[in-house]
Amino acid sequence: MSAYRDEDPRIQGIKTKIRVVPNFPKPGIMFQDITTLLLDPKAFKDTIDLFVERYKGKNISVVAGIEARGFIFGPPIALAIGAKFVPLRKPRKLPGEVISEEYILEYGRDCLEMHVGAVEPGERALVVDDLIATGGTLCAAMNLLERVGAEVVECACLIELPELQGRGRLNGKPLYVLVEYQ
Amino acid sequence: MEIMHKASSSLSCKISFFPSPDNIVSPRTLATPFRHSSASSNSQLQQLQLNRSKDYRPARSPLRCTASDSVKRQEMAGKDGQDSRIQKISSAIRVIPDFPKPGIMFQDITTLLLDTKAFRDTIDLFVERYKDKDISVVAGIEARGFIFGPPIALAIGAKFVPMRKPNKLPGEVISEEYSLEYGTDKMEMHVGAVEAGERALIIDDLIATGGTLCAAIRLLERVGVHVVECACVIELPELKGRERLGDKPLFVLVNGA
Repeated sequence: MSAYRDEDPRIQGIKTKIRVVPNFPKPGIMFQDITTLLLDPKAFKDTIDLFVERYKGKNISVVAGIEARGFIFGPPIALAIGAKFVPLRKPRKLPGEVISEEYILEYGRDCLEMHVGAVEPGERALVVDDLIATGGTLCAAMNLLERVGAEVVECACLIELPELQGRGRLNGKPLYVLVEYQ
Repeated sequence: MEIMHKASSSLSCKISFFPSPDNIVSPRTLATPFRHSSASSNSQLQQLQLNRSKDYRPARSPLRCTASDSVKRQEMAGKDGQDSRIQKISSAIRVIPDFPKPGIMFQDITTLLLDTKAFRDTIDLFVERYKDKDISVVAGIEARGFIFGPPIALAIGAKFVPMRKPNKLPGEVISEEYSLEYGTDKMEMHVGAVEAGERALIIDDLIATGGTLCAAIRLLERVGVHVVECACVIELPELKGRERLGDKPLFVLVNGA
């Protein structure tokens, strides 16, 4: 489900602020650049408000944000709904004891890590990132949380690339996005 | 595929991280011996137990606690209300010895982010300072500056500009090289993100030698922005980063000595 379909009046303003950069990081990729959205205080605030309105009062105690652009959107949501923020990071960035989840890339593998003890069994969690493409990273994030006994309530992204079918890779977990890029 | 490993190989005993839900364990029972020995530590312990029903235990062996007594925090001077917020912020920061390499006492702010009140207080302290200062840009340094910068920017009505490692920003960038202990690194900002004459803050979680902050200042000044102040949660005063900023003011919440 996406707010795009609900045509909240704020969505159009958000969509026009996302800049598409062709051929980054390599030829053929149309990169969705959210930094231009961050330059518009009203559009940035609307973005956060749309997520906060959806999630406050839902007893969510954890917002997990995926490095690095998930760090931009996750904390303001966490602060507004009274949840803790848990950064999910590339290997060897987190200083304490971690659990790791490996995931497949187009070529090769990568790893996502979370601090041991950051999340407790039974907590209700959101996973936040700027964009869902193939869903590989979000899947790894959900696995980390579920391995420590948390319940992933929903994944939340600004942007979805529907052609890459990431939504179907989330093991049945709901996905909420603000805009789709076709 | 599941991988479990310890960040520090020198931990000598395991701690159970998953007590039963009604067991309220304060991390202070592990951390207190080597944070500081002030008379207020008991009330801090109680405060933490009241505030943190879902506790986060530091990943440290109790045997190491007594060895690391040198870590102490000096809170910033301020009014009483500000003092109690800063005390809570300070005690929510976890110190990890020997990360990323032996001899370094790493200031881990992720535990602060787990304490909803302390995280909110952190942001409030910066917002109170900057909200009527006509600041239109908050620049945050990748990656932990991305955690603190956006909430401040949103609250004061400024834009947020990420300052990133090379090859992350997709559009046209300007770059600034800076020195590391061994070698150099580069920081980048999008062309057109900021305009000449804008007033900016630079945010990061911590200032050490000041090299990264200096690079950020130079990037902004190169495009005609006025850097009003640098703001960090933590300062490591022994590394003299403040001096390296020259005439640029620095505001921090806590010292990690």
